[in-house]
Amino acid sequence: MSKRFGGAHAAYLTLNGAIVAFLLLPIAIVLVFALNPTPYIAFPPVGVTLRWFVKFFSSPEFMNALWLSIYVAVIVVILSTVIGALCALAIARGNLPGFRLLTTVFLSPLMLPAILTGLALFQLFMLAGLGRPVWGLVVGHTLVAVPYVLRTTLAVLQNFDRRVEEAAAMLGASPSRVFFEVTLPLIRPGVIAGGIFAFIVSFDQLPISLFLVVPSGETLPVVLLNYIRFDLDGAIAAASMVSIVLALTAVLLLERIIGLRAYVRL
Amino acid sequence: MTKWTFSRRTFLQGTAAAAATIAAPAVHAQTPVLKTTAWGGKWGEVLKGQVIPAFEKEHKCKVETDSAFPYYPKLQATPKNAPLYDVLHTNTSEQWQAVVEGLVEPKLSAKDIPNLADLYPYATSDKICGVSAFTSAIGFGYRTDKGLSEPKSWKDLADPKFAGARGSYIIPVNSLGQMHLMMLGKIYGKGLTDLDAAYKALEQLKPIKMYDFTGGMEKALLSAEVNIGVLHDSGIYRYDGQNQPIAFAAPSEGVLSLEQVWNITPGTKMRELANQYINFILSPDVQKTLCEAVWYSPSNKKVKLGANYDAKLYNTEAKVAQLIQVDWKWYNERKDDIDARVTRILRG
Amino acid sequence: MSIKRPRISPIAWGIAPAALLFVLFFILPFGVMALLSVLSGNPVSNPNVTFTWRHYNRLFDSDLYFDALVATMRIGAVTTVISLLIGYPLAHWMARMRSRLGHAALLMAVIAPLLTGIVVRTFAWMTLLSDRGVINTTLQWLGFAPLPLMYNEFGVIVGLVHIYVPFMVLTLVGVIGRIDRTLEEAASGLGAGRFRTFLEVTLPLSLPGILAGSLLVFALAISAYVTPVVLGGNNVLTLPMLIYQQVSASFNLGFAGALGVVLLAVSLALVFAYNAVLGRLTGERQIA
Repeated sequence: MSKRFGGAHAAYLTLNGAIVAFLLLPIAIVLVFALNPTPYIAFPPVGVTLRWFVKFFSSPEFMNALWLSIYVAVIVVILSTVIGALCALAIARGNLPGFRLLTTVFLSPLMLPAILTGLALFQLFMLAGLGRPVWGLVVGHTLVAVPYVLRTTLAVLQNFDRRVEEAAAMLGASPSRVFFEVTLPLIRPGVIAGGIFAFIVSFDQLPISLFLVVPSGETLPVVLLNYIRFDLDGAIAAASMVSIVLALTAVLLLERIIGLRAYVRL
Repeated sequence: MTKWTFSRRTFLQGTAAAAATIAAPAVHAQTPVLKTTAWGGKWGEVLKGQVIPAFEKEHKCKVETDSAFPYYPKLQATPKNAPLYDVLHTNTSEQWQAVVEGLVEPKLSAKDIPNLADLYPYATSDKICGVSAFTSAIGFGYRTDKGLSEPKSWKDLADPKFAGARGSYIIPVNSLGQMHLMMLGKIYGKGLTDLDAAYKALEQLKPIKMYDFTGGMEKALLSAEVNIGVLHDSGIYRYDGQNQPIAFAAPSEGVLSLEQVWNITPGTKMRELANQYINFILSPDVQKTLCEAVWYSPSNKKVKLGANYDAKLYNTEAKVAQLIQVDWKWYNERKDDIDARVTRILRG
Repeated sequence: MSIKRPRISPIAWGIAPAALLFVLFFILPFGVMALLSVLSGNPVSNPNVTFTWRHYNRLFDSDLYFDALVATMRIGAVTTVISLLIGYPLAHWMARMRSRLGHAALLMAVIAPLLTGIVVRTFAWMTLLSDRGVINTTLQWLGFAPLPLMYNEFGVIVGLVHIYVPFMVLTLVGVIGRIDRTLEEAASGLGAGRFRTFLEVTLPLSLPGILAGSLLVFALAISAYVTPVVLGGNNVLTLPMLIYQQVSASFNLGFAGALGVVLLAVSLALVFAYNAVLGRLTGERQIA
């Protein structure tokens, strides 16, 4: 019995190890590019150099784009988690009619190729004489980020044990106290997962940004795309690695400070 | 510790500073802004790093460049009397789409842009709306380390030994691919507009790898993913000095012209500045700077390039006469049908 | 006997911000696009436009576009299924991991691919899958024949799965993590083996997560552009690729709009149906 257990467990670990390797393989490739001295992307690598990182950090265009992308992404995370979580609660608890219809509708921005969304938003802003302000960019990103928060929060809400809330109410807690001290903490893992998506989605967003950025106000993906059309060297790989390191550091910090892990199981 | 005293001098300095601060935005608001487009990469670096600052200084203005391609849909989405761009720089095919919709001027005025007089004839021919400031020649890029002799004819692409190792472009989205299709009509049929011959020839080219922009083709050549591909000379020469086993071949039937075209929008409020900007781009010094940065051929006859550039680029009357210009107006009218047909041929 | 629907509670107002965002910035622009799909031009720059069905006629005229729609749905479905098969074990491991460090490490491993950026990531896959790429050069070095891993639907699906597995994992992790362990322990206490416990307790309880994750991945996969273009070459044509071509190269905004309307309509119908079927399985009618 224990041998069968050990075998199944080993298989489980091997399977998961292979999956993680699959996920990380392209990143290893990108890292190789970023360190490879040749001024074009090739394999096998011929050496190690930091010149692409230097090029990335010393380029004002890349740096401005990086900061703008981060700035927009942070605002988008805040907006989309609030809007998305409220929406999830409303749909799950508000006794609104048409639950399935509502969730499908709010998922729809993801099904439409973002170039159409970007073009349509651009046309709208132009018609309204608004130009292309940064808040327009934020709105565009938030639009495609909210569905993620909504889905992940709803998924957690659907698995909810209402009895915890009922118990709190029976012990004398007022409805708002139940909400803030029981419900909200319990949906936190869904909201956090959604927030992580929102950050990634905004940071990596390309087609909508293509239409809504202004000259010298471009996000990193736009700058990278344009760069790669005309230059094919390690600088884009360096940009990629920097993005990864930055975001992972943020996740690590978040983990240390609030202990993300604790919110996954309760 | 000295006590800060409110002297008359301090008062005057303070007032002057305050006045300057209040006046500064007003002065800044009066700086005219020219909105235009620019490619990224090396071109963008040199344009924005050297060329544009010189222009801004000389004309006391600010130039904003949009690098987020595609430009046409954005221009089309803005009203004609308040266009998104004052000056549009893009390839010939897109300029023709724009002129048909009335989004750019059909011809530029030699009175307003003096340098137009110094250009090679192709730069303002009737195949161009606006002005072609730079061009590159489209031929073949090929690998020199595969025991291949230099391709001499466009027909060499169909050589069986290149099966699975030749490359071209996704025709619906790339103008080099579109020009190659037209060239197939010329080589195998009656001319650049013989689509039937072109479709047949395209069928014979299968299997062929298709890329959506020249960077992809460059990468494919460099990694030996393909051994021969349709490419412009700039795409090969930019690796000059890096000892790459790739070279450019100009087929004997002629090379196609990939023009960089500048034009003005009819509704621009900055017409004078726009004309000056285009004139600036056409001036010999600026042409030399940009050509030597990315290996484009200049259209101003008075440009003197460095020796190694002169040897390879199209910088004389004789060489320039070899450039083949296509009829984009004709192509764009049929584009949808061509795209559908080509996709069917290549997908099956 | 029908149960009387409970009154709408005040918390329903929480939907207001999302609704406002959507109406203003999605439904309205989408309406503009749908309008463009029945006009002959863009009224902003061209005042002489007329109503026309020709964009839709063109769509249904040629089987090229119908094939593209089918291909898009097919690639989306296959990507979703594979992402689920790959993502579930990983999510399960992550949700059940006791070590805090291990959990953090896994989280970073899952998120990192998403942070490389769409442009660079696709180039990385090109380097791996192309005929002279890493995998094929290794295969040849080992004495095997090279495989056509790219310029076909296989390459596209591999690339898409790689991008979307993290989304599946992160959606599932929260749900699996919240499954009450005592239920599983009770099952094994009653004599069920690990596999049976998984099949009859864990899996059904994680169905909301499976539903949410698959809907998400499907929606994303059918709207993907960069990956199918780069990894499929000319041999794969999806509706988003067509739409992009029409917007950025053919400048047929009306036709692009028509394609978008059709894609959205078909997808919404599919999603609604899937939602209904799986929803019934989770008994979520009574979620309130």
